[in-house]
Amino acid sequence: MNCLEFRRLVLIRPRQITAEQQAHLERCARCAEFAQSVAHDEAAIEQAMLVPVPEGLAERVLLRHRIRGPNRWSTLALAASLLVAVGVAFYFHEAPRQGDEIVSAQRSGVNQRAVAAISYVLDREPQLLTENRAGDPKVMHAALSKLGLSLPANIGSVRYLGKSVLSDGATGEHIVLQTPYGHVTLILMPEDFLASRLVVSDRNLQALAAPRRDGCYLLIADSAQTLERVEAMLL
Amino acid sequence: MLFDDRKSKFESLARAYSAELYRYAYWICRDRFTAEDLVQETFTRAWQGWSGLRDDRAAKGWLYTILRNEHARLHERKQLEIDPDQELDELMDNSGANAFDAFEMRDMLAALPETYREPLMLQVIGGFGCAEIATMIGITEGAVMTRLTRARQAVRRLIDPKPLTRAKEL
Repeated sequence: MNCLEFRRLVLIRPRQITAEQQAHLERCARCAEFAQSVAHDEAAIEQAMLVPVPEGLAERVLLRHRIRGPNRWSTLALAASLLVAVGVAFYFHEAPRQGDEIVSAQRSGVNQRAVAAISYVLDREPQLLTENRAGDPKVMHAALSKLGLSLPANIGSVRYLGKSVLSDGATGEHIVLQTPYGHVTLILMPEDFLASRLVVSDRNLQALAAPRRDGCYLLIADSAQTLERVEAMLL
Repeated sequence: MLFDDRKSKFESLARAYSAELYRYAYWICRDRFTAEDLVQETFTRAWQGWSGLRDDRAAKGWLYTILRNEHARLHERKQLEIDPDQELDELMDNSGANAFDAFEMRDMLAALPETYREPLMLQVIGGFGCAEIATMIGITEGAVMTRLTRARQAVRRLIDPKPLTRAKEL
């Protein structure tokens, strides 16, 4: 692949870097700089395009079509469910940590999982997003439930659902979210014990590996602030 | 039972795609109220034409196509009055650190020719691939690639108009 072809592809699909492009990127500093600059512009374009959505839009759509016809009993049932949900959330709530120390991939050592997650997002995820292989929402819900996490409606839309296999062999449920703060990857490992919490920075991405109940979850985003915001929504 | 299944799928679609359809609608009509009307109308037509949906996986693209057609129909009925300064400050989420950058970028995107902006919106907001975008807007995949390239080059020129920087790109 030459520089012209590399740059053409970057301008067409800045979020998908093929293996061939990656190889070119590693040996051409000018193209690497170009790709970084396009990625920066792309983040700005995405942020600008994500205009705020009026609150309750989906509810209004459903109401208009009488898909949901709340009567007195269903309203009471909804109120009861909300009370239970609030109670459960209060019981299990674990506040997100403020000001996690961010360590480099070289320093992380004891917690390679976060580094493996970043590699997975950079090396495998772009291809997975083009394949549109759908995972099983039931399996995903079960994993979220085991970890005591939830995906609230305002977290954004799910762009991908599937299984992930990290370079260290660990498997998890893989969710790509388009959140109000940008693309975020969430990997759930409900049975995989993790000793400690860590935020790692590598190759322009930040990854959080956090123990939760009997397992752990991994969040990968382009900034620590996004990690913190999305984690607060999940907990 | 069948009706319940249809209702449940419709509800899932409305919850999953209302927001991104609204954003797409906003960028094609540049009016908050018209954008919401377009989303509502899109789901009305989707509900009415549900039997035409053969493959659930195609639902998202189908909804975008309905919205696009609805906008075209509306546009035929009356020329939308687009005020370039319309409520941009209201649309901005000022809580973010990059609110001013987003404001400027919105202006730049609004200044792009429609033929460049639309494939870019479908890719960035909808996450569609080039082939899907080509089908939606009725052009070849190659033409979509060209438009995406030109859209991004145009944005880069607006951000950094220095000819020397531009010359290095392609």
